[in-house]
Amino acid sequence: MDKNNDSIFTRWITGILRNRKAITGVAIIFIFIFLAVLGPFITEDPTAFLGTPLSPPSWEHWLGTNGQGQDVLSQTISGARQTLLVGFTTGIMVVLIGALIGGISGYYGGRIDDFLSLLINVFLVMPGLPLMVILASWLPPGPATLTGVLVLTGWAWNARVIRSQMMTFRSRDFVSAAIVSGERNIRIIIVEIMPRMLSLLASSFIGASIYAIGAQVGLEFLGLGDVSTVTWGTNLYWASNDMALLTGSWWAFVPTGLSIAIVSFALTMINFGIDEVTNPRLIAERVWRENIPMDTVVNGITPVVRDHE
Amino acid sequence: MNSSVLSIQNLCVNYITPGDPVKAVNDVSFEIQQGEIFGLVGESGSGKSTVVQAILRILPPPAVIAGGKVIIKNKDILSTSNTEVMQYRWKQISIVMQSALNALNPVLTVREQIEDVLKEHSDLKSKATEDRTKELLSLIDIDVSWLDSYPHQLSGGMKQRVVIAIALALMPPVIILDEPTTALDVIVEREILAKIIELRKELGFTILFITHDLNLLLEFADRVAIMKNGRLVELDKAQKIRSGGKHDYTQKLIRSLPSASGPREKGLLPRPENLDLGEQPILEVQNLSKSFHDSGIFNPRSIDVVKNVSFQVFPGEIIGLVGESGSGKSTIAKLITRLIRPTAGDIFLKGSNKKVSEARRVPLEYRKQVQMVFQDPFGSLNSVHTVYHHLARPLLRHQLISEQDLLDHIIEMLETVGLRPGTTFAEKFPHEMSGGERQRVAIARALSLGPDLIIADEPTSMLDVSIRMEILEIFARMRIEKNLTIIFITHDLASARYLADRILVLQHGSIVEQGKAEDLIRSPKEQYTKQLIKAASPGWLRSLSFNNNTKDKDVGHV
Repeated sequence: MDKNNDSIFTRWITGILRNRKAITGVAIIFIFIFLAVLGPFITEDPTAFLGTPLSPPSWEHWLGTNGQGQDVLSQTISGARQTLLVGFTTGIMVVLIGALIGGISGYYGGRIDDFLSLLINVFLVMPGLPLMVILASWLPPGPATLTGVLVLTGWAWNARVIRSQMMTFRSRDFVSAAIVSGERNIRIIIVEIMPRMLSLLASSFIGASIYAIGAQVGLEFLGLGDVSTVTWGTNLYWASNDMALLTGSWWAFVPTGLSIAIVSFALTMINFGIDEVTNPRLIAERVWRENIPMDTVVNGITPVVRDHE
Repeated sequence: MNSSVLSIQNLCVNYITPGDPVKAVNDVSFEIQQGEIFGLVGESGSGKSTVVQAILRILPPPAVIAGGKVIIKNKDILSTSNTEVMQYRWKQISIVMQSALNALNPVLTVREQIEDVLKEHSDLKSKATEDRTKELLSLIDIDVSWLDSYPHQLSGGMKQRVVIAIALALMPPVIILDEPTTALDVIVEREILAKIIELRKELGFTILFITHDLNLLLEFADRVAIMKNGRLVELDKAQKIRSGGKHDYTQKLIRSLPSASGPREKGLLPRPENLDLGEQPILEVQNLSKSFHDSGIFNPRSIDVVKNVSFQVFPGEIIGLVGESGSGKSTIAKLITRLIRPTAGDIFLKGSNKKVSEARRVPLEYRKQVQMVFQDPFGSLNSVHTVYHHLARPLLRHQLISEQDLLDHIIEMLETVGLRPGTTFAEKFPHEMSGGERQRVAIARALSLGPDLIIADEPTSMLDVSIRMEILEIFARMRIEKNLTIIFITHDLASARYLADRILVLQHGSIVEQGKAEDLIRSPKEQYTKQLIKAASPGWLRSLSFNNNTKDKDVGHV
């Protein structure tokens, strides 16, 4: 009978689908996910030795071969699989932990908040990069370790943001009204407040995913991942090890680097789109600028457009 | 006698949206004569603020002035160059904005903010600037010793005066006052208005006064224009408007709110002939206190918001809790609804002599018996949920009704509060409704559990004037139909008089006076109550301003 949650989601999804920026981002991400899932069925074995090492793009190997004689196209497509998996898993977990700890902290306040804020602050002041490097080199390498390390060093900032947002919602009248009507706290948090934070949660997820992909590639590039697996990070690690840069074999690292850039770009586009969908003012201002002659736009002075309409 | 200082001709303002442009101001024309007070009245969304902001061309995007003329000193401001617009702002016309309490920069002193205007627009030497600044402060009755204070050190009324001083700094011939007193308490509001009118007499500027409160405007305006949905519906001398006006909408506004003085007009709100109150109080509050602690390391402070308040409420009674902002009235509401815990004192519900303020957890039963209606209907409904959700949740939580009967019950509740047809309203989201409709939903939600006691915290203060009485009427009707007990919290003595049986007057967290509504209004004992009543009655201006001989014939109608 609770048809309302549908409505907010429907409103959102239609908004996003109508937004040019967001739809571009979503399309790109879908293409990459599609390739990542289908990868093993459409590419050759990315680890097989197939030709002369570091041979340039040809009909046989569209993007050439790397220092190990492996097909770069297959490597790039296969690499998407683990990189995106770790990236998005980290994104989801960062948001979940952030929402849980930040949400509880902000909603309940008092001693609970004192304790949880302290915890958040401790993780915030810990130097993330060295910690990541130490943990990643000390734990057995692999995707689980990477995810764990990235979540551990990344959740606190999100928790902080969600906590402050929660605190402002906590003092709103609609929350008081729910309390007065006898609603349980947990239900107030999940059903009343969380949908209001959807835009924050969504953009936190996107931000955390971008961070996770970047940091993960960085760690693997340093050789702190499992170098026997094929990911975008290890692709770059091997390219560097095989001195692709020194020999001018651009095809060994450009496809992977470009993929990372395009995925980050697409995620950022989705974020802009979410911004515009949840903040109609941004769209209104854009439309306003498009609709009036350029020379009438002066900061702080309302334009007069007599032939408007 | 065509000595108009400001002439607006066929002004149109559009807000650009992805769809069709919204016509916020549609073909509005009026002229303001030298030296007069011209009032522009309208409810929220009527376009009155848009008009005055268009005059100064300070409308933010996505607004566009789509046509018309704004002529000041024979020059059309809408066709001048941008540098000329800058020149004319503040020198020819200045504005005191709606959110005046936030108009001051918190990190600059009063002196810096006033001198800023003087330096920008005049060539005064620094000594002359300082003299002028001091002169301005004395004009608005603020001691020169406040010159180097920061805005947060000033009271709301003082801040408002400083903003007016800044508007006066260059002595423009026209000053626009856009709801200059909305955030202030009644008594302060009246003082400031009297001051403005006195200054006008002294300095001879022309005033364009924007407000939603027609009754207030009729006290001092020479001519009044009434706006609705972006159009001017009526423009006439104040006396003519006061005696009824021509347009239906004008009459609706005139009749909207009763006065705190004079005989009680019969039939405004239904009241039972004989109050049949129970013997046992339904709610008893004993020595209730609440202080908020500011646990700073360096100067821990504690502020007593509610001090030792005791009162009883009997079944079927409507109590009016009247006080200004900061009097602790909303805190009392939160204490009784147990959103916060008292520092000291007890609350007894239903004469069961059971202290309800002790336990940390609030029993569900208490939640069912005591409900609340909040001030802001935009904030008290959750924008992501439908009306249906808002009404269904409490019923499901308290298991008062089976799922099959739920929808019928909700539709019935909606129709009880005047939202017909209920089926349509049940599916609406808050943003699809007007403020009045939302407040009705909030009332329906409070009523849906069948509570014994409803606390209504300023339920009408954020609503348009013309619908306030309708909302109060729901409460009056529910009391008769459901024998509901209501604590009606308000800053407006007049509406308390018409709705409540008994009135408690709060000041600084304590009850200063209480009594039967009519008795209290007619023969108040405390000085503070007298002040409040005076401020809420027609003719207050005469009693506050000094040598007001020219306007005496206009004011004082009862």
